[in-house]
Amino acid sequence: MRTRRLERRPRFGVFVTVLFFGWLYLPILAVALFSLNDKKSLSAFSGFSLRWYDDLVHNSALISSLVASLEIATVSAVGSLVLGTMLALGLERVRGRRGRVIGAVTLLPLVTPEIVTGVAALLLFTGIGLKLSMTTVILAEVTFSIAYVTVIVRGRLAGISMEVEEAARDLGCTPFQALRLVTIPTLVPALVGAGLLVFALVFDDFVLAFFTTGVDPQPLPVRVYSSIRFGVSPAINAIGTLMLLGSALLIVAALTVPRLFNRGTSSLDLITGGQR
Amino acid sequence: MSTAPMAVPDPTPSVTLRALTKDFGGTTVVDHLDLDISSGEFFSLLGPSGCGKTTTLRMIAGFTDPTSGTILVGGDDVTSTPPHKRDVNTVFQSYALFEHLDVRGNVGFGLRRKGLDRRTLDRRVSDMLELVELGDKGGERPARLSGGQRQRVALARALINQPKVLLLDEPLAALDLKLRHAMQAELKSIQREVGITFLFVTHDQDEALSMSDRVAIMNDGVIEQCGTPEDVYERPTSVFAAGFIGTSNLMSGTWSAGCVTVSDTLSIPAPDHRGSADGEPVSVTVRPEKIWLSDLTPQMFRTAGTIVSNSYHGATTQYLVSITPELTLTVLEQNLPRMRTEDRWNPGDRVELGWLPEHTVVLRTTPRNRSESALRADARASAGTPEKL
Repeated sequence: MRTRRLERRPRFGVFVTVLFFGWLYLPILAVALFSLNDKKSLSAFSGFSLRWYDDLVHNSALISSLVASLEIATVSAVGSLVLGTMLALGLERVRGRRGRVIGAVTLLPLVTPEIVTGVAALLLFTGIGLKLSMTTVILAEVTFSIAYVTVIVRGRLAGISMEVEEAARDLGCTPFQALRLVTIPTLVPALVGAGLLVFALVFDDFVLAFFTTGVDPQPLPVRVYSSIRFGVSPAINAIGTLMLLGSALLIVAALTVPRLFNRGTSSLDLITGGQR
Repeated sequence: MSTAPMAVPDPTPSVTLRALTKDFGGTTVVDHLDLDISSGEFFSLLGPSGCGKTTTLRMIAGFTDPTSGTILVGGDDVTSTPPHKRDVNTVFQSYALFEHLDVRGNVGFGLRRKGLDRRTLDRRVSDMLELVELGDKGGERPARLSGGQRQRVALARALINQPKVLLLDEPLAALDLKLRHAMQAELKSIQREVGITFLFVTHDQDEALSMSDRVAIMNDGVIEQCGTPEDVYERPTSVFAAGFIGTSNLMSGTWSAGCVTVSDTLSIPAPDHRGSADGEPVSVTVRPEKIWLSDLTPQMFRTAGTIVSNSYHGATTQYLVSITPELTLTVLEQNLPRMRTEDRWNPGDRVELGWLPEHTVVLRTTPRNRSESALRADARASAGTPEKL
């Protein structure tokens, strides 16, 4: 009786797992598949072709959106990395109740509905008379992403003993040298991970971009959304597939690059509370 | 009860602390500490966690600012010198190795800060790695080393700078017992070889006794007793010192005419004791291994008792012997080659026990090294001692 139960349970588990992953990934696979269709149809696959990718290459609006999104993601990643790391290092030095309160406030953007952040950013920018453009998108995205960087860097800092910085001081470093020669290099895995994560998040972020973007060039997700309203072209499928591949590559990099630095802990482990 | 250093090669002071005090938010963690450590000495600060020993070390290193008092290193006042300008180096409890550098990078870090030329630096790093027996590990990242090896890297990284004083903050605490014993011997021999003053902080009495030239026993921010390992073990001067190191049979009584009266039926002679007035309450102790249960000699102080329990510890057997209803003594007997199992005492046996009068140690009940101001501060804060850092 016991063995029968043991046999049955995995079968049910396999069924649920397959259902779950099917539900999750089949629509995405469909997008990828139909990006290779040789007809415009989105329901019948009639033949294999790269014509939509060819279409995409010649669609200058989409290409300029892609370039804009890459630019926004890169600048946002670098900007939030610098500010978030400074914040994390500063918070490390504020102990006790004050430190906990500031730390909690820092994390608020993670739980604030993005649409609220978006509306707030839009009201702020228009209120102070800032013309909506790529700059405003970047400002909004950096504001939003600092929290991610801070969480990741603080997680890493918690794993480094305060004694490491003291050791640097002990061995002849001024406070600034200790930061430059020891603390920052020790944080590199976390910085790489956080940078890649922010890049991936910002690159395909829709909500903030939608509220804060100017007319031209529009970030890619906004462009895709607006073109869908006039009927879905398989070129959208093509660009969706490319974005999917790009994001997946970044996530894989965020997971694996820290391991190349001889550390067992990747930044995603730090977020998910995985292995320490 | 001399506190004069024994086996100290050079009498110039290496570290001098004067009335060193640290308050953390109203709690006095280190209380008017006075200490002189000679050049080339292996000195241990021994005490329970929270006694202020690590705070003292951190103040000498420069990581913690003293509330008041003076720190001299090699005769120079460094009380307000930042850590990177002090001629001291630290071996941290967590080792605090730089994970982004290989072993050579770690060990050479301090010398590179000093701007040594490449060739000299390489040579000295190699020499140092030989000294700590890591000659073949120069290219490894710290993460790939074992605990013992990481410990050696931490030691080498500090020693290579030839500081006036090397501060060691419980460096062996993270190692397992066997490795710890091996490293104790090795640390001691390295210290002899390089001749640098070692200030070693530990809560492990075996470590302190086996390695040190002198030991200071710390409690509640003050030094209870300072002396050679033999001094502090054989001739403790305070109740705390006697209780903290080893097992001790602590009894309280009254001093009169060269004897301590512990009870109506027990009066223990202490011919060596000076400085107590008749009728003064004192404590008295005798180490368990100093008490004999057989082969008593005429010179010994003797009393009778009943065996309460025996427990076999391999090299020794420990007995609890009841002398009076209120007083039970611990006795540690060597299991000598001639002894057989049936020779062992059993619970209920009546025994005569005795020890030589010089092994009776009379203790003061208040700490001795407290300065006047410390005692006054104590009186003010007498309403309960908050937890110390």
